[in-house]
Amino acid sequence: MKKTLLFNYGLLILLTISTAVISNFVAIKSLAIGLIMGLSALKFMLVSFEFMELKKANLFWKVSLIFVLFLIVLSVVFISN
Amino acid sequence: METLKINYKNLYFPPGGILMWIIIFLELITFGMALVVFAMYGSEEPEIFHQSRLQLNSTFGAINTVFLLTSGFFMANAVVEFKAKNVKKSSFYFKLTMLGGLLFLILKSVEYYHKIDSGITLETNTFFAFYWLLTGFHLIHVIMGLVILIWTNNGMMKKNSDTEVVDVEACAAFWHMCDLIWLLLFPVLYLIF
Repeated sequence: MKKTLLFNYGLLILLTISTAVISNFVAIKSLAIGLIMGLSALKFMLVSFEFMELKKANLFWKVSLIFVLFLIVLSVVFISN
Repeated sequence: METLKINYKNLYFPPGGILMWIIIFLELITFGMALVVFAMYGSEEPEIFHQSRLQLNSTFGAINTVFLLTSGFFMANAVVEFKAKNVKKSSFYFKLTMLGGLLFLILKSVEYYHKIDSGITLETNTFFAFYWLLTGFHLIHVIMGLVILIWTNNGMMKKNSDTEVVDVEACAAFWHMCDLIWLLLFPVLYLIF
Protein backbone atom coordinates (compact mmCIF):
# COMPACT_ATOMS: atom_id res chain seq x y z
CA MET A 1 0.00 0.00 0.00
CA LYS A 2 1.55 3.29 -1.07
CA LYS A 3 1.71 6.01 1.58
CA THR A 4 0.67 8.75 -0.86
CA LEU A 5 -2.47 6.81 -1.76
CA LEU A 6 -3.29 6.35 1.92
CA PHE A 7 -2.69 10.06 2.58
CA ASN A 8 -4.95 11.05 -0.33
CA TYR A 9 -7.63 8.63 0.83
CA GLY A 10 -7.54 10.17 4.32
CA LEU A 11 -7.81 13.62 2.77
CA LEU A 12 -10.81 12.55 0.67
CA ILE A 13 -12.62 11.21 3.75
CA LEU A 14 -11.79 14.41 5.65
CA LEU A 15 -13.20 16.51 2.78
CA THR A 16 -16.37 14.36 2.72
CA ILE A 17 -16.86 14.94 6.46
CA SER A 18 -16.23 18.68 5.96
CA THR A 19 -18.90 18.74 3.22
CA ALA A 20 -21.41 17.11 5.61
CA VAL A 21 -20.56 19.64 8.34
CA ILE A 22 -20.87 22.62 5.97
CA SER A 23 -24.21 21.44 4.59
CA ASN A 24 -25.59 21.18 8.14
CA PHE A 25 -24.09 24.23 9.82
CA VAL A 26 -23.46 26.99 7.26
CA ALA A 27 -26.63 29.07 7.23
CA ILE A 28 -25.82 31.41 4.33
CA LYS A 29 -27.07 29.51 1.28
CA SER A 30 -24.77 31.01 -1.35
CA LEU A 31 -21.69 30.46 0.84
CA ALA A 32 -22.72 26.87 1.58
CA ILE A 33 -23.25 26.11 -2.14
CA GLY A 34 -19.87 27.61 -3.04
CA LEU A 35 -18.06 25.68 -0.31
CA ILE A 36 -19.83 22.37 -0.99
CA MET A 37 -19.17 22.53 -4.74
CA GLY A 38 -15.59 23.74 -4.14
CA LEU A 39 -14.85 20.78 -1.87
CA SER A 40 -16.45 18.43 -4.39
CA ALA A 41 -14.22 19.84 -7.13
CA LEU A 42 -11.20 19.27 -4.86
CA LYS A 43 -12.23 15.66 -4.25
CA PHE A 44 -12.78 15.20 -7.98
CA MET A 45 -9.25 16.44 -8.69
CA LEU A 46 -7.71 14.24 -5.97
CA VAL A 47 -9.38 11.13 -7.42
CA SER A 48 -8.48 11.95 -11.01
CA PHE A 49 -4.91 13.18 -10.43
CA GLU A 50 -3.86 10.74 -7.70
CA PHE A 51 -6.00 7.58 -7.96
CA MET A 52 -6.29 7.69 -11.77
CA GLU A 53 -2.68 8.89 -12.08
CA LEU A 54 -3.65 11.76 -14.35
CA LYS A 55 -0.70 13.69 -12.87
CA LYS A 56 1.53 11.47 -15.03
CA ALA A 57 -0.43 12.20 -18.22
CA ASN A 58 0.14 14.72 -20.99
CA LEU A 59 -0.78 18.33 -20.08
CA PHE A 60 -3.66 18.21 -22.59
CA TRP A 61 -5.58 15.67 -20.47
CA LYS A 62 -5.00 17.57 -17.24
CA VAL A 63 -6.10 20.92 -18.65
CA SER A 64 -9.11 19.38 -20.43
CA LEU A 65 -10.35 17.66 -17.29
CA ILE A 66 -9.94 20.77 -15.14
CA PHE A 67 -11.73 22.80 -17.82
CA VAL A 68 -14.73 20.41 -17.95
CA LEU A 69 -14.86 20.20 -14.13
CA PHE A 70 -14.83 23.96 -13.64
CA LEU A 71 -17.37 24.50 -16.40
CA ILE A 72 -19.80 22.15 -14.63
CA VAL A 73 -19.11 23.35 -11.08
CA LEU A 74 -19.17 27.08 -11.87
CA SER A 75 -22.36 26.73 -13.96
CA VAL A 76 -24.11 24.91 -11.10
CA VAL A 77 -22.89 27.45 -8.50
CA PHE A 78 -23.93 30.52 -10.52
CA ILE A 79 -27.30 29.10 -11.57
CA SER A 80 -28.14 27.93 -8.04
CA ASN A 81 -27.33 31.26 -6.38
CA MET B 1 2.82 -10.17 -18.62
CA GLU B 2 3.41 -6.58 -19.75
CA THR B 3 6.97 -5.46 -19.15
CA LEU B 4 6.95 -2.54 -21.57
CA LYS B 5 7.24 0.91 -19.96
CA ILE B 6 4.34 3.15 -20.99
CA ASN B 7 5.18 6.77 -21.74
CA TYR B 8 2.18 8.46 -20.09
CA LYS B 9 3.44 11.89 -21.16
CA ASN B 10 2.61 10.93 -24.74
CA LEU B 11 -0.74 12.50 -25.68
CA TYR B 12 -2.00 9.14 -27.01
CA PHE B 13 -1.19 7.12 -23.88
CA PRO B 14 -2.93 8.58 -20.80
CA PRO B 15 -3.12 6.09 -17.87
CA GLY B 16 -6.04 3.81 -18.76
CA GLY B 17 -5.77 4.38 -22.50
CA ILE B 18 -7.00 7.09 -24.85
CA LEU B 19 -10.30 5.35 -25.66
CA MET B 20 -11.20 5.05 -21.99
CA TRP B 21 -10.44 8.76 -21.47
CA ILE B 22 -12.62 9.70 -24.44
CA ILE B 23 -15.44 7.71 -22.79
CA ILE B 24 -14.73 9.40 -19.43
CA PHE B 25 -14.95 12.86 -21.00
CA LEU B 26 -18.17 12.01 -22.85
CA GLU B 27 -19.73 10.67 -19.65
CA LEU B 28 -18.65 13.66 -17.59
CA ILE B 29 -19.97 16.12 -20.18
CA THR B 30 -23.29 14.24 -20.43
CA PHE B 31 -23.82 14.04 -16.66
CA GLY B 32 -22.50 17.59 -16.28
CA MET B 33 -25.01 18.99 -18.79
CA ALA B 34 -27.82 17.14 -17.01
CA LEU B 35 -26.71 18.65 -13.68
CA VAL B 36 -26.63 22.16 -15.15
CA VAL B 37 -30.17 21.70 -16.53
CA PHE B 38 -31.21 20.31 -13.13
CA ALA B 39 -29.83 23.47 -11.46
CA MET B 40 -31.73 25.64 -13.99
CA TYR B 41 -35.02 23.90 -13.14
CA GLY B 42 -34.09 24.26 -9.46
CA SER B 43 -33.76 28.03 -9.81
CA GLU B 44 -37.22 28.14 -11.43
CA GLU B 45 -38.91 25.97 -8.78
CA PRO B 46 -36.81 26.60 -5.62
CA GLU B 47 -39.48 25.61 -3.08
CA ILE B 48 -40.38 22.30 -4.80
CA PHE B 49 -36.69 21.44 -5.15
CA HIS B 50 -35.99 22.30 -1.51
CA GLN B 51 -38.92 20.23 -0.19
CA SER B 52 -37.98 17.33 -2.50
CA ARG B 53 -34.32 17.50 -1.51
CA LEU B 54 -35.33 17.24 2.16
CA GLN B 55 -37.00 13.91 1.35
CA LEU B 56 -33.63 12.47 0.32
CA ASN B 57 -31.45 10.80 2.93
CA SER B 58 -28.18 12.74 2.75
CA THR B 59 -26.59 10.39 5.33
CA PHE B 60 -27.09 7.51 2.89
CA GLY B 61 -25.57 9.69 0.17
CA ALA B 62 -22.54 10.55 2.32
CA ILE B 63 -22.01 6.89 3.33
CA ASN B 64 -22.23 5.89 -0.33
CA THR B 65 -19.57 8.54 -1.11
CA VAL B 66 -17.30 6.90 1.48
CA PHE B 67 -18.00 3.44 0.00
CA LEU B 68 -17.03 4.62 -3.49
CA LEU B 69 -13.95 6.54 -2.32
CA THR B 70 -12.78 3.54 -0.28
CA SER B 71 -13.31 1.22 -3.20
CA GLY B 72 -11.44 3.68 -5.47
CA PHE B 73 -8.56 3.67 -2.97
CA PHE B 74 -8.37 -0.13 -3.13
CA MET B 75 -8.57 0.02 -6.93
CA ALA B 76 -5.58 2.39 -7.06
CA ASN B 77 -3.66 -0.05 -4.82
CA ALA B 78 -4.65 -2.96 -7.08
CA VAL B 79 -3.04 -1.18 -10.05
CA VAL B 80 0.14 -0.44 -8.04
CA GLU B 81 0.44 -4.09 -6.99
CA PHE B 82 -0.24 -5.36 -10.51
CA LYS B 83 2.50 -3.12 -11.88
CA ALA B 84 4.83 -4.53 -9.19
CA LYS B 85 3.83 -8.00 -10.48
CA ASN B 86 2.18 -8.95 -7.18
CA VAL B 87 -0.82 -10.45 -8.95
CA LYS B 88 -2.23 -12.20 -5.85
CA LYS B 89 -2.10 -9.01 -3.80
CA SER B 90 -3.60 -7.08 -6.69
CA SER B 91 -6.44 -9.61 -6.87
CA PHE B 92 -7.02 -9.15 -3.12
CA TYR B 93 -7.39 -5.40 -3.66
CA PHE B 94 -9.69 -6.10 -6.63
CA LYS B 95 -11.96 -8.05 -4.28
CA LEU B 96 -11.97 -5.22 -1.71
CA THR B 97 -12.83 -2.82 -4.55
CA MET B 98 -15.76 -5.04 -5.54
CA LEU B 99 -16.90 -5.18 -1.91
CA GLY B 100 -17.06 -1.37 -1.85
CA GLY B 101 -19.11 -1.38 -5.05
CA LEU B 102 -21.41 -4.05 -3.67
CA LEU B 103 -21.99 -2.08 -0.46
CA PHE B 104 -22.84 0.96 -2.61
CA LEU B 105 -25.40 -1.10 -4.54
CA ILE B 106 -26.97 -2.46 -1.34
CA LEU B 107 -27.35 0.98 0.25
CA LYS B 108 -28.67 2.44 -3.01
CA SER B 109 -31.24 -0.36 -3.18
CA VAL B 110 -32.37 0.39 0.38
CA GLU B 111 -32.71 4.07 -0.56
CA TYR B 112 -34.68 3.23 -3.72
CA TYR B 113 -36.93 0.87 -1.71
CA HIS B 114 -37.77 3.66 0.76
CA LYS B 115 -38.54 6.08 -2.08
CA ILE B 116 -40.80 3.63 -3.94
CA ASP B 117 -42.46 2.67 -0.64
CA SER B 118 -43.24 6.38 -0.02
CA GLY B 119 -44.79 6.64 -3.49
CA ILE B 120 -41.93 8.75 -4.89
CA THR B 121 -41.52 7.90 -8.57
CA LEU B 122 -40.19 9.37 -11.80
CA GLU B 123 -43.47 11.26 -12.22
CA THR B 124 -43.64 12.85 -8.74
CA ASN B 125 -42.04 16.12 -9.89
CA THR B 126 -39.11 17.51 -11.90
CA PHE B 127 -36.66 17.03 -9.01
CA PHE B 128 -37.43 13.34 -8.66
CA ALA B 129 -37.49 12.79 -12.43
CA PHE B 130 -33.85 13.97 -12.45
CA TYR B 131 -33.09 12.06 -9.23
CA TRP B 132 -34.24 8.73 -10.66
CA LEU B 133 -32.66 9.24 -14.08
CA LEU B 134 -29.29 10.52 -12.86
CA THR B 135 -28.83 8.07 -9.96
CA GLY B 136 -30.27 5.26 -12.12
CA PHE B 137 -27.82 5.84 -14.97
CA HIS B 138 -25.00 6.11 -12.43
CA LEU B 139 -26.10 2.83 -10.86
CA ILE B 140 -25.95 1.14 -14.28
CA HIS B 141 -22.35 2.38 -14.60
CA VAL B 142 -21.48 0.93 -11.18
CA ILE B 143 -23.01 -2.44 -12.15
CA MET B 144 -21.08 -2.38 -15.45
CA GLY B 145 -17.93 -1.46 -13.50
CA LEU B 146 -18.42 -4.45 -11.21
CA VAL B 147 -18.82 -6.77 -14.22
CA ILE B 148 -15.57 -5.37 -15.70
CA LEU B 149 -13.80 -5.81 -12.32
CA ILE B 150 -14.92 -9.46 -12.04
CA TRP B 151 -13.92 -10.11 -15.67
CA THR B 152 -10.47 -8.52 -15.30
CA ASN B 153 -9.80 -10.19 -11.95
CA ASN B 154 -10.71 -13.61 -13.33
CA GLY B 155 -8.55 -12.98 -16.39
CA MET B 156 -5.45 -11.99 -14.45
CA MET B 157 -5.74 -14.96 -12.04
CA LYS B 158 -5.73 -17.51 -14.88
CA LYS B 159 -2.64 -19.60 -15.60
CA ASN B 160 -0.69 -18.08 -18.50
CA SER B 161 -2.78 -14.93 -18.16
CA ASP B 162 -2.47 -12.43 -20.99
CA THR B 163 -3.83 -9.55 -18.87
CA GLU B 164 -1.57 -6.53 -19.31
CA VAL B 165 -1.00 -3.37 -17.30
CA VAL B 166 -3.09 -1.35 -19.79
CA ASP B 167 -6.04 -3.72 -19.25
CA VAL B 168 -5.92 -3.28 -15.48
CA GLU B 169 -5.46 0.50 -15.86
CA ALA B 170 -8.44 0.73 -18.23
CA CYS B 171 -10.56 -1.29 -15.79
CA ALA B 172 -9.44 1.01 -12.95
CA ALA B 173 -10.14 4.16 -15.01
CA PHE B 174 -13.72 3.00 -15.63
CA TRP B 175 -14.22 2.29 -11.93
CA HIS B 176 -12.80 5.68 -10.91
CA MET B 177 -15.10 7.32 -13.47
CA CYS B 178 -18.03 6.04 -11.37
CA ASP B 179 -16.43 7.87 -8.38
CA LEU B 180 -16.02 11.06 -10.40
CA ILE B 181 -19.64 11.09 -11.56
CA TRP B 182 -20.88 10.42 -8.03
CA LEU B 183 -18.68 13.23 -6.63
CA LEU B 184 -20.65 15.63 -8.85
CA LEU B 185 -24.10 14.02 -8.42
CA PHE B 186 -24.06 13.77 -4.64
CA PRO B 187 -23.67 17.48 -3.73
CA VAL B 188 -26.01 18.73 -6.45
CA LEU B 189 -28.84 16.26 -5.76
CA TYR B 190 -28.53 15.79 -1.98
CA LEU B 191 -27.10 19.00 -0.57
CA ILE B 192 -27.40 22.32 -2.37
CA PHE B 193 -31.16 22.87 -2.81
